[in-house]
Amino acid sequence: MAKGGFWVEHLINLKINGEPYKVSLKPNTTLLDFLRDEIGLTGTKKGCDTGQCGACTVLLDGKPINSCLVLAADANGKEILTVEGLGRNGKLHPLQEAFIQEGAVQCGYCTSGMLLSAKALLDEDPDPGEEEVKKAIAGNLCRCTGYVRIVKAVLVAARKMGG
Amino acid sequence: MLTKLREFHYLEPSTLSEALSLLDRYDGKAKILAGGTDLIIQMKQKKLTPEYVINLKKISELDYIEYNGQWLRIGPLVTHSMVANSPIIQKNFPMLVDACLAIGVPQTRNRGTLAGNLCNASPSADTPPALIALDAKLKMESSDGERVMDVEDFFSGPFGTVLKNREMLTEIKIPSLSEWSGGAYLWVPKITAVDETLVGVGVLITLNPDKRCKEARIGLGSVGPAPIRAYKTEEFLKGKRIEPDLFVEAGEIAVSEASPRSREDYRREMIKVFVKRALGQALRKIEGAI
Repeated sequence: MAKGGFWVEHLINLKINGEPYKVSLKPNTTLLDFLRDEIGLTGTKKGCDTGQCGACTVLLDGKPINSCLVLAADANGKEILTVEGLGRNGKLHPLQEAFIQEGAVQCGYCTSGMLLSAKALLDEDPDPGEEEVKKAIAGNLCRCTGYVRIVKAVLVAARKMGG
Repeated sequence: MLTKLREFHYLEPSTLSEALSLLDRYDGKAKILAGGTDLIIQMKQKKLTPEYVINLKKISELDYIEYNGQWLRIGPLVTHSMVANSPIIQKNFPMLVDACLAIGVPQTRNRGTLAGNLCNASPSADTPPALIALDAKLKMESSDGERVMDVEDFFSGPFGTVLKNREMLTEIKIPSLSEWSGGAYLWVPKITAVDETLVGVGVLITLNPDKRCKEARIGLGSVGPAPIRAYKTEEFLKGKRIEPDLFVEAGEIAVSEASPRSREDYRREMIKVFVKRALGQALRKIEGAI
């Protein structure tokens, strides 16, 4: 802690969508604000900002978390995956394709978080049943679709990916 | 932005003794960060505005689940997901897995810790009733030394504990279950975004070979200002032959030990239902194991 300077910037190293970042930030920056405002990755959405809606879900070392409740400083040394890192080489991820194909996107605000919760599920269980999908997305609120098409899209993607 | 965090000093000690001396130095001005799923929300709501935030995550000695056949020991960095996914806990303490899975959603379970769930001391927390039934002990440490207490004595009221500013909850200890014991944690949530628990009941019974109750432990959650140990119900069951006829009366006694403040009728009814059902499940588990 520097003398005189009361609120000190904190230096962190982390990987976001496979790319290394070395940045200095204020400790009161959440991972969500850091991703959106400092890195410019606005695919991660801010909904309630208090851990209830799941719009800000990203994967931290492969596990879904609410980025609004994580200090960016606390992500030091971690790997973050946001929706921008889902597709590869200009191609959409099978989950994204299935969401479009099945009409699982309406206003789209919950979609990024939904996709990441679904990705974490399929990474762990490539062939989930409907119940498993519902449990995996229980922390992602959607106020448009009624979830039916989202659940179907995840199951369709799982089949396509060979689960 | 209303949810913007106020500024604070961010500290990352790498040993427990360093963390305890920071708590000592910043007596009352510091908060401990483990999972952050409660702390960060309360800081956003300005209910807490610590000058110092002490992040424990660099302290690897606080991150463990160990079982030696006599005691299960859980460190303060262990998350709900880690508990739920632990083969040791699944095999020996399934009730604790159920209580951890009752907590919110994957995002919260992946981040929030068992120790944090206790320290936040929400009256509706899921793990205290299960831990009361499991006879859990809590170890608290400060620079001056340590003390150990039963989990049911840890809570002082809604969101209050007996933990002093300079103290940290450093371990949750659960004794191995004796032969002929079985338990269950049952709960019902409010239907809201976060599915907060409306009634949670943890029951553990141990029988003698003649099927008489040797020991009963019952924890009630979300039906009073703090988690409740249902001593009278336990006494009622002790020494009696455990048969379904007893379960209804046990449920009624448990209701008399609770003091729900809202949705009273529903909560009282559900205590009866869950005590009865949990005793039935516990009995079936014991009978299945014999």
